[in-house]
Amino acid sequence: MIKRFFRLVWRQMNVQLKIRIFNQYTVLLFFLQPLVFSAVGMILARAAGNLAPDLVYTVIGGGIMGMWSGLVFTSTWDITRDRLYGTLELIVGSPTSLGKVEAIRTFTNVMAGLVSLAAAFLAAMLIFNYSLAGANLAGALVSLLLILFGLWSIGIFLANFLVWSRLSDQMVEFLELPVAVLCGFMYPLRILPVWMQDISMIFPIRWALGALDECLSGSHDLAVLGLQWGLALGIALLFWAMARWLDGKVHDLVRISGELNSI
Amino acid sequence: MKSKAAGGSAILRTIRLYFIQAWFSYRALYLWNTPLNYFISKFGYSFFAMLMFMFIGKFAGLADPLYIVTGNILLMPSMNGISGVSTAVADEKRFGTLSYLFGSPAGRAPVFMGRALFPVLDGFLTAAVAMPVALLLFHLDLSKTNLWLLLGCILLISFTTSGLGFILGSISLVNRDGWMITSSIEVGLFILVGVNFPVDLLPPFVRVISYGLPMTRGIQAARLALAGANWPAVSQLVLGEALVGVIYALLGYTLFRLIERRSLVSGALDDL
Repeated sequence: MIKRFFRLVWRQMNVQLKIRIFNQYTVLLFFLQPLVFSAVGMILARAAGNLAPDLVYTVIGGGIMGMWSGLVFTSTWDITRDRLYGTLELIVGSPTSLGKVEAIRTFTNVMAGLVSLAAAFLAAMLIFNYSLAGANLAGALVSLLLILFGLWSIGIFLANFLVWSRLSDQMVEFLELPVAVLCGFMYPLRILPVWMQDISMIFPIRWALGALDECLSGSHDLAVLGLQWGLALGIALLFWAMARWLDGKVHDLVRISGELNSI
Repeated sequence: MKSKAAGGSAILRTIRLYFIQAWFSYRALYLWNTPLNYFISKFGYSFFAMLMFMFIGKFAGLADPLYIVTGNILLMPSMNGISGVSTAVADEKRFGTLSYLFGSPAGRAPVFMGRALFPVLDGFLTAAVAMPVALLLFHLDLSKTNLWLLLGCILLISFTTSGLGFILGSISLVNRDGWMITSSIEVGLFILVGVNFPVDLLPPFVRVISYGLPMTRGIQAARLALAGANWPAVSQLVLGEALVGVIYALLGYTLFRLIERRSLVSGALDDL
């Protein structure tokens, strides 16, 4: 049973990674767009008279942006591609549930997105001499794992809408920038108006990012970090539970109505 | 007399073909969509990109976000001019109608150029609608604005971006990842054409690329018109922008004809 599950995970990840590697759009999502946003941040910082940009937000934030954009577009495009090529029906009809397939694919997409973050860290360290000395590395690692889990939970939640209706892909893709704006990928949340900060509380990555920022600044305050980690984990689990519930609903809907190919 | 009448009817046929092609290609681009999705695709990305850059600017220490607001509004026509036009050209291949198009006796110029008409008008309207919205949301001061000149600049920007759209659409006919190139260039415009900061802040070699692109001069002219400049103050920028737009449109058309000729010789266009 466990062996079969890992075989499924391995096969799915293998195919998914090949698709990602051979898709040039990945380059745009993981590298080019974050680079452009970071460059704008750096030039604006210089225009404002700053000697150096804030590397955590301007450069490493760009990497987080790349991970998020990669997840939104790859996960939506996975379902859209299945619909286009006629393989969505085959997956829905197979004994392995679509939810499980999507969970593995989204996991692969999230992990693949790490290259964007790794590139941003490398750029910060090699080009701008960013140093991790003094940073709470263990805390940063926990925060990063929670960012990944948060991204994954949102990814599998959103995937249901794409199975539900082909028109939802534009709505889901549209979420790319609003979530990036609200979660403060490239600036601290205190910059936002209070009402926007309040809305951002529903996203697990917002809390995990806050904790990552604290850890990179050298904070070891477990009370503050623990609260942010707890909220990130709790909200991500909530997204995961909603995704499971929606998965069942959507699965029933497309099987009962038989309208998978027409919706 | 007869040949004069035949010539007149040929012109009428060409004009009719131009408008019919323009209308059908525009309908093919958007008619399948729901009004909400259409609205979101028009304003959503641009609005939130603008917010993102505004907050990045605020964090960097810029006190006045209006430069970024107006720049991003002026960039809006590029969504139609670049993506719309290039998709209208590239979708011929995607949906398998390119072979029929190349096999038809219809004049290529109206068929090709017609694809820009409605995206240009749509892009112009999008930016024209966004300006009053910015007036309300961001207290954009239009009291000194030379309105007709500003509208003229926006229309010109819409046209010149369609020239780039023609080139990218033609590239998409021979490259399966052409839309990726289109998307990359669109993202690059946030840096290159003076949307979020003046192009003078760019390194000299990047500035050369900036002035080789459509929109750079058009956006500068529109900013001057917003501040109340009159025609003599912006004429050079406007004429330069128009020239760049014409060059890009001609390059796109030439590329399209070259691809057509190559496909007739090799018969391999659908394999690419």
